[in-house]
Amino acid sequence: MRFADVYRLANANLWRTKLRTALTTLGVIIGIGALVSMVSFGVGIQKNVTDEITENELFTALQVTPADLDLEGIMSGDVSAMAERREDAASLDDDAVERMRDLPGVTLAFPEDRFPATLRVGERETRASVQVLPAGIGLHSPFDELSAGRFFETDVERSVILSPRVLREVGFRLDAPDRASGTRESGAGSDRRTVSADSLLGREVKLATSVIDGRRLALAAVEGELPVRQVETTLTIVGIRERPTGFGTASFASDVIVPSGTAAEIPRLDFTSAWDLLRPDGLDRGYVRVHVRAQSMQDVYSVRDEIRSMGFSVLALADQLEAFRRQFLILDTMLGAVGTIALFVASLGIVNTMVTSILERTREIGIMKAVGGSEGDIKRIFFVEAGTIGLVGGALGLALGWVVTRVANVVMNYHLRPEGLAAVDLFHMPAWLLLGALSFSVLVSLLAGVYPAARAARVEPVEALRHD
Amino acid sequence: MPAILETRGLSKTYRKGSVLIPVLRDVSLEVCQGEFLAIVGRSGSGKSTLLNLVGGLDTPTGGSVYVRGVDIASQGKAGLARHRRGTVGFVFQSFNLIPSRTALENVSLALAFGEHPASDRARRAEEVLRSVGLGHRLGHRPGEMSGGEAQRVAVARALANAPDVLLADEPTGNLDSATSGEIAELLRGLNDDRGLTVLMVTHEEPLAAHVAHRIVKLHDGRLAPQERIAGRSDPKDRREAS
Repeated sequence: MRFADVYRLANANLWRTKLRTALTTLGVIIGIGALVSMVSFGVGIQKNVTDEITENELFTALQVTPADLDLEGIMSGDVSAMAERREDAASLDDDAVERMRDLPGVTLAFPEDRFPATLRVGERETRASVQVLPAGIGLHSPFDELSAGRFFETDVERSVILSPRVLREVGFRLDAPDRASGTRESGAGSDRRTVSADSLLGREVKLATSVIDGRRLALAAVEGELPVRQVETTLTIVGIRERPTGFGTASFASDVIVPSGTAAEIPRLDFTSAWDLLRPDGLDRGYVRVHVRAQSMQDVYSVRDEIRSMGFSVLALADQLEAFRRQFLILDTMLGAVGTIALFVASLGIVNTMVTSILERTREIGIMKAVGGSEGDIKRIFFVEAGTIGLVGGALGLALGWVVTRVANVVMNYHLRPEGLAAVDLFHMPAWLLLGALSFSVLVSLLAGVYPAARAARVEPVEALRHD
Repeated sequence: MPAILETRGLSKTYRKGSVLIPVLRDVSLEVCQGEFLAIVGRSGSGKSTLLNLVGGLDTPTGGSVYVRGVDIASQGKAGLARHRRGTVGFVFQSFNLIPSRTALENVSLALAFGEHPASDRARRAEEVLRSVGLGHRLGHRPGEMSGGEAQRVAVARALANAPDVLLADEPTGNLDSATSGEIAELLRGLNDDRGLTVLMVTHEEPLAAHVAHRIVKLHDGRLAPQERIAGRSDPKDRREAS
C-alpha cells in the first residue's frame, strides 16, 4: 500500500473521532509548548550573555598578569594563591609587551595603565582616574562606538576622550545622552549648561597630575610632608564616550582616556595602584596587567599558550565561556526535562487513544486483512495516526510556546523596568529548537504508537470478523 | 481440467483451555478452473473454517492449501496477505463492509491494498459496482442500503482485484429468500459469463444444487463421500456443449 493511501486512511480515522483526537493532540500541544518555552528561556539567557561578550569582542581578549600573582587561582576562589609568590616570575615590562605584540595571531598588546589626575575646564575641576590606551584599540569594540567625535588616530596626539559623566561634573550637560537618566535640571540656580556633544569637540581641557619634586625630596624629613607639586597638561577633546556597562567591561570603564604616547609624556607618580606597593620588590615588576587581543577565536588558545610559556599568567574569557556553556547546558537540560515530562504524559494519552481505537476498530482491521491488507499495512496506518497527532500537536505546541514566551517576556520586562534595567528579550527560539522540538514530538508520538500498531497488526482476521 | 486450488490433508484443531476441539479433519479437495463448487453441511460442520483456511484468513494445524501447485503458507504472512489480496476474493454472510465508508470507498480500499494505480481506482471501483448492478448506489454507505445491495457491494469488492477464486461464506445467510435468489443468480452469472471459479459455503442444499456444478458435504469436519446432488452440468461438459 502506498504511503499516500496509508496517510489518507489514517487521517480519515482521526477525523472520525474528532473530540478524542483533539483532546489527545491538546496533550501534545501543552507538552511541546512547555518544552519549547522552558528551553527557550535557558537559551535566551545564554544568548544575552554570549551576545554581550561577542559584541564587546571579548572572545578574543586575554589578560596577562605576572605569574607571581595567580589571577586564575584567585578568580577560581583559591585564596592560598594570593599568598603564593613565585620569585622566579618573569617581569611584565615593556620588553615583554613587545614580545607579545610580535606573537603570531596577536593584533594588540598594551599594558593596563591608569593614573589619578584632576580634570580642569575653565573654573571647574574634578578628580578622575585616567586610562591610558593605544590608538589601535579604537578598531575594537567597545571603543569603536563613541557618542560623538572619534577615537585617537595616533598614540602621540595630545587628545582626550571624556565620558558624559565627567563632563557633567565640570558643568556640561549633554542634551542627548542624558535623557535616559530623566533628571533634567534647569533654571537660574543651575550653573550647568545643556550643550550638544559635538559642540564640546575641539575644546581644550587641562589635566593636572601630581609629581614628587626630587630636588626637594631631601627636605621632606624636615618639612614633614612629601614635596608634591602639580603639573598641568593641555589636551583637546576629540571624542565623547559613554562608560560601558555590562558583563566583562570593568577594565574599560573609564571617564578619561588619553593616548599611550601622550600619557608617557605626562609627569606623574610612578605607581598605578595599591597592588604595586604590596609587591615585595617594589616597582621593578613592571605592569600589573597587560591586555592582549588575538586576531580570531582560533588564535586565542595558541596565543594563550605562547604567553604562558613566557612565564605569565593568562586569563582568556574564552576559557570562562566554556565553563558558561557547560553551566547553561545543565540549565537547559533541567528546563528541557520538565518539558519532556509533560510530553511523556501526553504520549501516554496517545497510547490510550490508540489502544481504544484498536478495540473499536477490531472488525475493521479484520476486514482490511481479509481484502488483502498485510500486517505492515495495518501497522503503518496506526503509526501514521500517532505520527500525525505528534506532528500537528508539535506544530501547534510551537505556536503555543511562542505565545507563552511573548507574554512572559512582556510581563517580566514590565517588572524589570522599575529596576532601571533595559528591556531585553529573555527568550530565544532558534531554528534548531523549533525543528528539534517538532522532531521530538513526532518521535515520541511514533514511539507511543509502537505498541498499539504492533497490537493492531497482530489482530487475527478470523477473530476480528467475528467481533462486534 | 487443471486444479486451480487444492487442499491436502487439511486439519484445524482449536484449543479451549486444555481441551482440543478438532474442527476440520484431513480434508483433501480439488477445485478446477471455472468450477462452481458448493460446500454444504450443518452448522458447526467446519464449512466456514475450511473456507477461511483456503482464503488464507486462518492457518491450518495440519495439511496445506495449494494454488496452482504452490503452498500458500510457503511465503509467510506476507505471502498469505498477497494470496488474500490477489488470488481470492471474499464474500461474507454479514457483508463485512466498513460502515463509515461509501460503496465506492469500500471497493476502493480493496484496490488500494491491491496496489491498483491510484489514478484508475475510482474508475475501476465504479466499473465493478456497475457490473453488479449498483451504478446508482456509489455514494451510499452500507447503512443506507438494503441487505441485498450491501451484499452486492461486498461482491463488487471481492471482484475488484480480479481474483482467481471467489470465496463466498453463506452469502445469502442474512437475506430474505427473494434477495437470496438474486445474489445466487449474480454468483452463478459471474461463473457462467466470466468463467470465475467460485467456492461457496452454504447450508441450503437446494440453493447449492441450483448454482453449483459440484457439491461436497462436510460432516463433523470430515468430507462425506462425494455425491452428486446438483443438476447443473459440469463446466467441462458445458464448454464441450457450447
